[in-house]
Amino acid sequence: MSELVLKTEKLDKVYKLGGRKVRALSDLNLQIKKGDFISIMGPSGSGKSTLLNMLGCLDKPTYGKVILDGVDVTTVPEKRLFKIRKYKVGFVFQTFNLMPYLNAIENVELPMEGTKKSGDEKRKRAHELLKMVGLSEREGHRPHRLSAGEQQRVAIARALANNPTIVLADEPTGNLDSKTGYEIVSLLGKLNIDQGTTIIMVTHDSRMASRAGRMLFLSDGRLLAKEKQGTHLLKKELTCPYCGKEIQPDDMFCPRCGKEL
Amino acid sequence: MFVKVNNLGALKRAIRNVSRRKMRTFLVIIALGFSMAIMISIPSGIMANQEAAQNLTERFSSTISNTQEEINKTTTLIECRTSSGRVTPSGIPSGMPPFGSEQEEVFVNETVANEIRSIEGVKDVVPFIETSSEETTSETINTPRGSFTISRPLYTITGVSLNSSFIDNYSILPTNITAGRNLQAGDSGVVLMTSNLTDYLGAGVGDEVEIYGRAFTVVGVYGSTDQGIMQTRTVYMNITDAQTITGNAGNVSRLDVYAESASDVDGIADVIKAAYSDLYVTTYTDRLANLERMQEMYTETLNNAESTLSQTQTVATQEILIAVAATSLIVLFVMLYTVRERTKEIGILKAIGFSNWNVMSQFMFEGILMSLMAGVVGIVIGIVGAPFLSSLLLPQVSLFSTQQQGFPRQAVNFGTALSQSVTATPDSQTLLLAFGVAVLLGAIGSLYPAWRASRTSPMEALRYE
Repeated sequence: MSELVLKTEKLDKVYKLGGRKVRALSDLNLQIKKGDFISIMGPSGSGKSTLLNMLGCLDKPTYGKVILDGVDVTTVPEKRLFKIRKYKVGFVFQTFNLMPYLNAIENVELPMEGTKKSGDEKRKRAHELLKMVGLSEREGHRPHRLSAGEQQRVAIARALANNPTIVLADEPTGNLDSKTGYEIVSLLGKLNIDQGTTIIMVTHDSRMASRAGRMLFLSDGRLLAKEKQGTHLLKKELTCPYCGKEIQPDDMFCPRCGKEL
Repeated sequence: MFVKVNNLGALKRAIRNVSRRKMRTFLVIIALGFSMAIMISIPSGIMANQEAAQNLTERFSSTISNTQEEINKTTTLIECRTSSGRVTPSGIPSGMPPFGSEQEEVFVNETVANEIRSIEGVKDVVPFIETSSEETTSETINTPRGSFTISRPLYTITGVSLNSSFIDNYSILPTNITAGRNLQAGDSGVVLMTSNLTDYLGAGVGDEVEIYGRAFTVVGVYGSTDQGIMQTRTVYMNITDAQTITGNAGNVSRLDVYAESASDVDGIADVIKAAYSDLYVTTYTDRLANLERMQEMYTETLNNAESTLSQTQTVATQEILIAVAATSLIVLFVMLYTVRERTKEIGILKAIGFSNWNVMSQFMFEGILMSLMAGVVGIVIGIVGAPFLSSLLLPQVSLFSTQQQGFPRQAVNFGTALSQSVTATPDSQTLLLAFGVAVLLGAIGSLYPAWRASRTSPMEALRYE
């Protein structure tokens, strides 16, 4: 059985909104194993982003634990939390959030600032990552000269810069057309298969969510008992989930039945 | 090693960010640059003022001691002048008409000299005639308080008795001959001129000049000791020549009476005063009293200068403080605005693992970088504009009020010299200091905004649009 990389215990988050208490997360227990590709679905306001913020150490729960790589991050003081964000977590945002004044390769190098890597090592790593996401040719371009899909690929490469324990993707396809969205999710899936990267993707798009290995459902801050298997697991076994034909990891359509993978 | 690598990245990004918003950076740098320029110009202006005040003090004390020396040499001299008599370094005639006003020339018959010589205890009487040239000039003097146009005779003619016993025993002729020779006993048809007059006329030793329609040969040139901006031009000639050409045959305007001994002076002076009411008589005692008055006036002038100077320093301190405050505030507000504008960026940086210190140093670098550039601009403006800026911002140390009160011109001229010499040029030390201050103010001004940026919650910042 794979090792557990992320676990939450009785996670509770209560916000105060204009004197009114709003419970964003309630008694949430979650277990993520190494190499998982999980999508979390739910309507807006269901607590998806709140959960992702807790997991990414951007916010602290009112109650409960978040255990990342064996460390309860809720007890880590704020001034040391940056190290966890730097080395253990990779963020992919809906709006890409690249630095407009840095080119693609510099954006990928950014999280490596302050690590033990030398300038050359950083450049080499960033170069590899951009190659992995298929943007070798676009290294010197600044974000405004890249398409939305390309920007998200740079963001994914940036998230992987310090080889994090977990990649958290918050609506990564939300600002993309469906074709590009599929490409991005496929890229995440491919990284999961090829690199064994653990990915948690929050989305409200069921078609995107179904491409993950496991689909979790969040409603009113609670995880629903129902859990679905996505197509990713079958793809991981390199067989078409519809006809059983052998496929390649980056195939977008089944070579036999022609269905979208 | 860690920090070094880190900060290099932050520095690189700071440069990109500063150059990203060119117009804003430009305006900020110009504004800061002016503050810096003020900081550079004012101390150099102050230093120039101090130097000028120092010069003033030195010149006053040297004038006083020279005068003292001259007075001490002439304990037996009784000066008798008509009202047309002019100021000499040895004293200020009482009742002297105010500077620049119309003077009516008054003469006495030279037989008076013989009469005085017959008074008991009188050793010698040396007659002079001092009168103005025919030509007048209209001169404009520029002062910090505006321009004055003054009409005055082009030069003064001094007729001297060229008698060898007078020349040998008394100081009746100028001593500092710069070209040619001095006047000698028996000279006629020749003149000795101040260098400023030969310059004015374009004449030299051996040339002929026309005075009251008669040709004179220039035999010598002497340097004027007058240091004012409106220097006296003087021509020395034989007294007979002077009397003849000006139509004053037998007239004199000044008699230098020498007593046998110093103890006779007061008695002789009393006799002269009683007998000749149109002569102004000054003795050693009077001259000493005049010197004291002069000294008092100089002291007052110096005190005025000093109080203006200290006032100047107070103003300067205030202005520098304002400039410092303005610089810090400009940096503060610009950086606060920048931080606000880039809240989302701060959120992203923190989300991808930047520490508070990383974020803070990034914004600090930006503030310091802008101040550094402003420092360079400030130094350029400072070097070019220091004289202008310091004269604009500092009260002038000027003593012109003395002129209107009819004080001796020398004092006025020192005042002019002082106010004119305020030409501030910043030295390298001031420039270096200003540069250091620029960096420091940049750091101080961006400290709070950078700290605020570093404390921003990443989650809040990411939500910021």
